[in-house]
Amino acid sequence: MLDRRQFLKLGGATAFATLFGGCDKVQRRLIPFVIPPENYTLGEALWYASGCDQCPAGCGIVVRVSEGRAKKIEGNPLHPVNRGKLCARGQAALQALYHPERFSRPMKRSGPRGSGAYAPVSWEEALSLLMEPLKKIKAEAPSSLLMLTGPMRGHAGLVAGRFMKSFGSPNRVAWDPFGPDAMLSANAAAYGVRDLPEHDLANARYLLSFSGDFLETGISPVHYAREYGRMRGDRETIRGKFVHFGPRLSMTAAAADLFLPCAPGTEGFVALGIAHVMVRDRLTAASSAAGRLADDLGAWSPEEVEKKTGVHAHDIAAAAEEFARNQPGLAIAGTTAATCADGAFHCSAVALLNVLAGNVGKPGGLSFPNRAQAFAKYGPEAGLLSPSPESGYAGTRAALEKMRGGAFRIAFLSGATNPAFTLPPSLKFGEALSKVPFVVAFASFLDETTSLADLVLPVPTALETWGDDLAPVGHAGAITLRQPVVEPFHDTRSMPDILIAAAKELGGEPAKALPWGSFRECIEKAYGGPGGEMEKALQRGGFLGEASSPRSAVRTGGVSLPKAADRPLEGDPKAFPLALHLYPSIALYDGRGANLPWLQEMPDPVSTAVWRNWIEINPKTAAGLGLAEGDGVTVTSPSGKITAHVAFNPGIAPDVAAMPLGQGHTKYGKYANGRGENPISLLPAGETYALQATRVALVKTKLSTALARTGHPEGQWKVKNMM
Amino acid sequence: MTRKRTFAALAIALLPALLFLAGGLAAAAETVPQPIAYSHKIHVTDYKMNCRFCHSSTNKSQYANLPSVEKCMMCHRTIATDKPEVKKIASYWNEKKPIPWNKVIDLPNHVYFPHKKMVNAGIPCLTCHPGMDRAGTAVQNLEFGMGFCMDCHRKKKVSIDCWTCHY
Repeated sequence: MLDRRQFLKLGGATAFATLFGGCDKVQRRLIPFVIPPENYTLGEALWYASGCDQCPAGCGIVVRVSEGRAKKIEGNPLHPVNRGKLCARGQAALQALYHPERFSRPMKRSGPRGSGAYAPVSWEEALSLLMEPLKKIKAEAPSSLLMLTGPMRGHAGLVAGRFMKSFGSPNRVAWDPFGPDAMLSANAAAYGVRDLPEHDLANARYLLSFSGDFLETGISPVHYAREYGRMRGDRETIRGKFVHFGPRLSMTAAAADLFLPCAPGTEGFVALGIAHVMVRDRLTAASSAAGRLADDLGAWSPEEVEKKTGVHAHDIAAAAEEFARNQPGLAIAGTTAATCADGAFHCSAVALLNVLAGNVGKPGGLSFPNRAQAFAKYGPEAGLLSPSPESGYAGTRAALEKMRGGAFRIAFLSGATNPAFTLPPSLKFGEALSKVPFVVAFASFLDETTSLADLVLPVPTALETWGDDLAPVGHAGAITLRQPVVEPFHDTRSMPDILIAAAKELGGEPAKALPWGSFRECIEKAYGGPGGEMEKALQRGGFLGEASSPRSAVRTGGVSLPKAADRPLEGDPKAFPLALHLYPSIALYDGRGANLPWLQEMPDPVSTAVWRNWIEINPKTAAGLGLAEGDGVTVTSPSGKITAHVAFNPGIAPDVAAMPLGQGHTKYGKYANGRGENPISLLPAGETYALQATRVALVKTKLSTALARTGHPEGQWKVKNMM
Repeated sequence: MTRKRTFAALAIALLPALLFLAGGLAAAAETVPQPIAYSHKIHVTDYKMNCRFCHSSTNKSQYANLPSVEKCMMCHRTIATDKPEVKKIASYWNEKKPIPWNKVIDLPNHVYFPHKKMVNAGIPCLTCHPGMDRAGTAVQNLEFGMGFCMDCHRKKKVSIDCWTCHY
């Protein structure tokens, strides 16, 4: 026990210590660099121009670098694609650079395939592990080498293409879940050009969108968002009108003047209904095409289309009339229209509207810049610099079949498209890959695909590497150059660098085909090297001169009515009452962004949900099923079963349920794993990569998790008034 | 209360302040221990090296940087390699570790002091760092109170607005 005297003594001592204890100066350290970064000035930031690789849009970026660390990414104001703007995914590339789960050195599998158990090895050992079987199959069966990557553009694609060709293997496949295959087929049929067009939104007076969520995802969201802004507000007396057809009220649909919901996978029929009215009422510019199509379009009257799509006949007729009378106008098909079972039909039907309205090759319409011109000096190799021509679902499926047949002895996997996650499970990607004796992954992160590899070779992120790029749209002939904005953080080597080193060791044809010392040297030789034109171009972010590239000649005379393949959604409507609409997430895209916390915590613009999976249904549908906002449900399709949380969206048709892609990872690190389940597992394996392919049923389920949302629907719309 | 008692009470009340002042004066004069016994005198006075050879960002940045280990080794790969202090630097270099210097001059956070403004205006380094050219490791022979800055600003007829230095 303390007596009063001791208490006062102690109190006094404490007070003294408090008063004078803080007088000691805490010694602060100054830690200078061992080797300072290039152009380093303490406290002063530098901005380096480079190119973004977070999605296929190919935007230009500038990165603020201070003390040798990248601090902030912004759009490059000089770049024709994005003119200084950048989306959230591009901004989040910083987190990929600093990610704690990045591979910092080569890894050799130390457990069963798919377990994710790896032991670090040196680069020397890793390269000997790679070269030994590579030399063996080069001598015995060169065609047993498979290269499965994401779409590769620029000289990275050229190096990969040359390597495979000189090695003697034709098996170079590129997989992209949102690849433009359907659009390319449609454009080849409608315009005679197998390419992606430039849509001149800025000068358009009318825009018809068929599930084209171009403000969120699509081919080039930042570019088209800017163009859309110009269409709406850049002209004194004209404000372009925007009408959107689609299965759900997306962010893009919410920006439209008029949103007309249609059932998933019926966008093309709506377009045919509009074409019917234009031809019937003689509202077309292309009279020859109209005359030829009149009979074929007879079956697609607005009334017939209404039965098939749910869009009112008078809305179709009104849209057709407005579209035809407000020229120049544009009709665009979006990702979700293209990812239907017969995506090429939907895209062709939409292309038909542009032909009928006479929008091709004029301002405010669409045109085809001659993409090959940018790389014309490469002659027959120019094709290697464009996205891999073998890209697509058909090539990937064929490769899987060959895998199962034991045709491959080595597989190179690379790219962010993660086929083990993004392909329907019924294709059994992992099982097919297990038939390949030696699998090498070029990756920065462990994911569902990389975890199946025997050897992981760590690659740098886009902010640490050299490269070049030609954007799919909006590039105006510009070539983007990438440069390392920081010294590589880890002991990484880019895939082209590894291929160049491998070719050198193989000798013979591969060494001749890849004659550079490094990928940087390849880029420098291609663009004039340091001290020359390339120096200036690097400072600007590439060769960004507004090249008025010649346009490809378009043939619209022989256009014919696209044939609708009658492919109903899988599942009996009685057992599975809701059509499932899957769409790319604005934050996670196809799932590649799921390991970046900034993107996970970014509220979805429509549901405001974060960090988790949800299924959007109409409040009326929910009332019928006894579901409340945030409830857990089991989503069942004929092909699979997952759980998700309910999020109300009054702007979705009562017989449709929509889910974003991206969540449901199991091996993509602590930020991505265990955040719901992958909706792709609900899909059947079809002839095409169809995200709009199945029907589902919902059953209320108790889940241990909750749906976190940054807003409450009661605060955004009055649900009660909608019931 | 008697006068004696009042005086005692006052002394007790002022004791912390006096101690604080004494501590402050002591701090101004103390030398800060450093991992390397670097000599400013040898480099600046004997070999006539410009301060900005090592403190290269003084004309470009708010901060006067410390040299990187690489910069030390530019000369000491070949010069005075037998000296024990240079050997210490070489061991940091070989291990690719930075030298953990201790900070000597530390302005409070409520002051914005850009070196580049002074250096580019032609103020010699020794104006604020007197004796540094004859010192061993870094010393602080001046207390940077607000009056010190204000006197100079008044003499030079440059801004004495509060927000020039406090924002």
